[in-house]
Amino acid sequence: MFEVTPRLLRNGQIELNEALLFDAGAETNGSEINGFSGIPPDQKHWMMRLDAWLEKRELLLNRRFPVGIFISSDTDLAATLGKQGALLQTGLFQTADVAFIAIDFPSYTDGRGYSLAQLIKSIYGWHGELRAVGDVMIDTVFYMARCGFDSFLIKEGHDPQLALEALGTFTEPYQKSYQLPGVPLS
Amino acid sequence: MYIYDEIDQRLVEQRVAQFRGQTQRFLKGQLTEEEFRVLRLQNGLYIQRHAPMLRVAIPYGMLTSKQLRTLAYVARRWDKGYGHLTTRQNIQFNWLRLEDAPDVLAKLATVQMHAIQTSGNCIRNTTTDHFAGVAADELINPLVWCEIIRQWSMLHPEFAFLPRKFKIAVSGSMTDRAAVGVHDIGLQAVERNGIFGFRVFVGGGLGRTPIVGKLIKPFVEWQDLLTYLQATLRVYNLHGRRDNKYKARIKILVKDLTPEVFAHEVDAQWQLIKGGPDTVSEAFVTSIAGKFRWPEYDLDTEISETFYFSQLSADTKFNRWSRTNVHPHKVSGYASVTISLKATGAPPGDISADQMDAVADLAEKYGFGELRISHEQNIIMPDVRKSDLYMLWQELQLLSLATPNIGFITDIIACPGGDYCSLANAVTLPIAEAIQSRFSDLDYIYDIGELDLNLSGCMNSCGHHHIGHIGILGVDKAGEEWYQITIGGRQSGALDNHLGHGLAHRARADAGAGGSGTDSAGANGAGAAIGRVIGPSFAREQIPDVISRLINTYLRLRDSEEERFVDAVHRLGIEPFKKDVYADPLFSKSLTLSKETHV
Repeated sequence: MFEVTPRLLRNGQIELNEALLFDAGAETNGSEINGFSGIPPDQKHWMMRLDAWLEKRELLLNRRFPVGIFISSDTDLAATLGKQGALLQTGLFQTADVAFIAIDFPSYTDGRGYSLAQLIKSIYGWHGELRAVGDVMIDTVFYMARCGFDSFLIKEGHDPQLALEALGTFTEPYQKSYQLPGVPLS
Repeated sequence: MYIYDEIDQRLVEQRVAQFRGQTQRFLKGQLTEEEFRVLRLQNGLYIQRHAPMLRVAIPYGMLTSKQLRTLAYVARRWDKGYGHLTTRQNIQFNWLRLEDAPDVLAKLATVQMHAIQTSGNCIRNTTTDHFAGVAADELINPLVWCEIIRQWSMLHPEFAFLPRKFKIAVSGSMTDRAAVGVHDIGLQAVERNGIFGFRVFVGGGLGRTPIVGKLIKPFVEWQDLLTYLQATLRVYNLHGRRDNKYKARIKILVKDLTPEVFAHEVDAQWQLIKGGPDTVSEAFVTSIAGKFRWPEYDLDTEISETFYFSQLSADTKFNRWSRTNVHPHKVSGYASVTISLKATGAPPGDISADQMDAVADLAEKYGFGELRISHEQNIIMPDVRKSDLYMLWQELQLLSLATPNIGFITDIIACPGGDYCSLANAVTLPIAEAIQSRFSDLDYIYDIGELDLNLSGCMNSCGHHHIGHIGILGVDKAGEEWYQITIGGRQSGALDNHLGHGLAHRARADAGAGGSGTDSAGANGAGAAIGRVIGPSFAREQIPDVISRLINTYLRLRDSEEERFVDAVHRLGIEPFKKDVYADPLFSKSLTLSKETHV
């Protein structure tokens, strides 16, 4: 069920990836766990899709093991989370209730995740762990880190150690409104 | 010339190190072809017909003698002894080995050059007026703003993987010579209540869906330029189509949403970041301007003028070259010179390593060691003392670089075409040569007057055929090369797009920017226009005759010598031209043949 080769860059370390995407359909068809339909059991590792999480948000508070949220690259945040103003409420994503937010890169050439990351951090007020998943390469982690990602699930075939080193590829890039890897903007 | 500081230098060196690592991983099989493809593209490397092609950035077309000598070195050591200047003010080498690319880039970095973002779906090299900084009609100096945009866009972390390529052009003058109406973003400097800012056109472009840009913001104050660009790019990055590469340019998004809705979306994003860290401060502009090495002009100009005028009257050949290839300068006593790379028989925009070295020497001897590349694929010497023009001209003649044809029919813009490019449907270079040979009589081409003839080998439109007064497009049908002709295109405002031909040109006060917000050819004069197809395509050998007939129709119908070809097309429509061309029995065969095949 879990992977055996560590490939998750997090806090300067290479860790085993243990996150699993919760499939509500499979859960309801199978055994009822936890007494609730549509949410994963209160165990480590679970991630939920953004729309499913929004729907079940009230049921996911005060868990021992908060879930992670999975955002696909074609997500229209304004449409999903409401127009700005209505949902510029800070506090939608609380670190007490959300373990991390993962943004998917279905292909490394799909750059929407970079803008989604910027919006999640700057507009929707997420200050916790932001994870890049999917087609994440040695060659893209630097840009990802500058856009606010702080953990990276490196794709198979790419040496996670080299990816860790790649976070230092450029020491003084130009753009002032984007952070250096691991150094939040003041 | 902008001079790198330590930070600038370190960035390009770190980029070379990164790409060296990527190339090694690819050659060792640790990166797949698909993974490596975009990484190499963003370092300027295409896989072409014969070998990888390297496109080297010449930011906003500005180049020093030292840099040009290094390009000559690259051409000799790693290529076949020449390079090709592009319509985006860059230079391409067509015969490199992939294994050598990191060494070439390392060599370029030693002279503050790179190939970063010269291809791929990212923000490309920002282009501008080739007379930027020296033009007499400038509101602001676009070089400083181009450098600010260069820094902002280079290795931009959010916009490295856009739906499609993205091109920005800046015009700082009253007359737009940067073709801002046919770029993804076109910025035209304007002044309002004593404050300067930019008019923002979005969604112009050529390619298979040619369209002129829409004015989405009449005025963005200079402080807000980068945040406004950021907001525009963010809307595009999130919402531009990614399912079909032919519908992925920002122009399609602007069209689908409508310019009004697009502008509204940008504004909503902009409000969130306006005034943020990327706001441009006066201190920042001053610091960037301070990192340029500006020419120190000799202001004792009276002698310079007198000397020049006596030589003009003494030598008619020199006089002729002066009228076409010498342009006014903001400092009296100085002029800018266009070195024509459009001699008959030489591929347009090609320059040999020996010519590069020679031009580099001339720029030091008769200038401040600085050069510009024009998007018309010529080289500009921006600061020549008028008293030196005669000697410069004599030296250029010895180098076959004094063709007096700037702005005329033989000053052809052409992509490398099917001889080099694997995308091309048809060859372009033999067509250019055939047209140049047909129009070899200088008096005749001067009588025809200003005429932009642009030639692309496929609908990717690298030769900008849509905005040629006469455009030629290579099309492939059933494995055969055909050529489609358009007329009435233009790159900017109707009054003019060249800074006059010769010093005696009339002052032009065209306040129009690149796009007037409409597509229609001929609408109200201001703005770029897309040429219209005259009819079925032609075979290669027919092209010179077709061009001749178009010209004959124009000469017969123009209302005066002042009316340019393109103006006549806009006044008369394409019908009389079309009728004359297809009435020729010579083309009846082509008509029959191409009925099924023309696009």
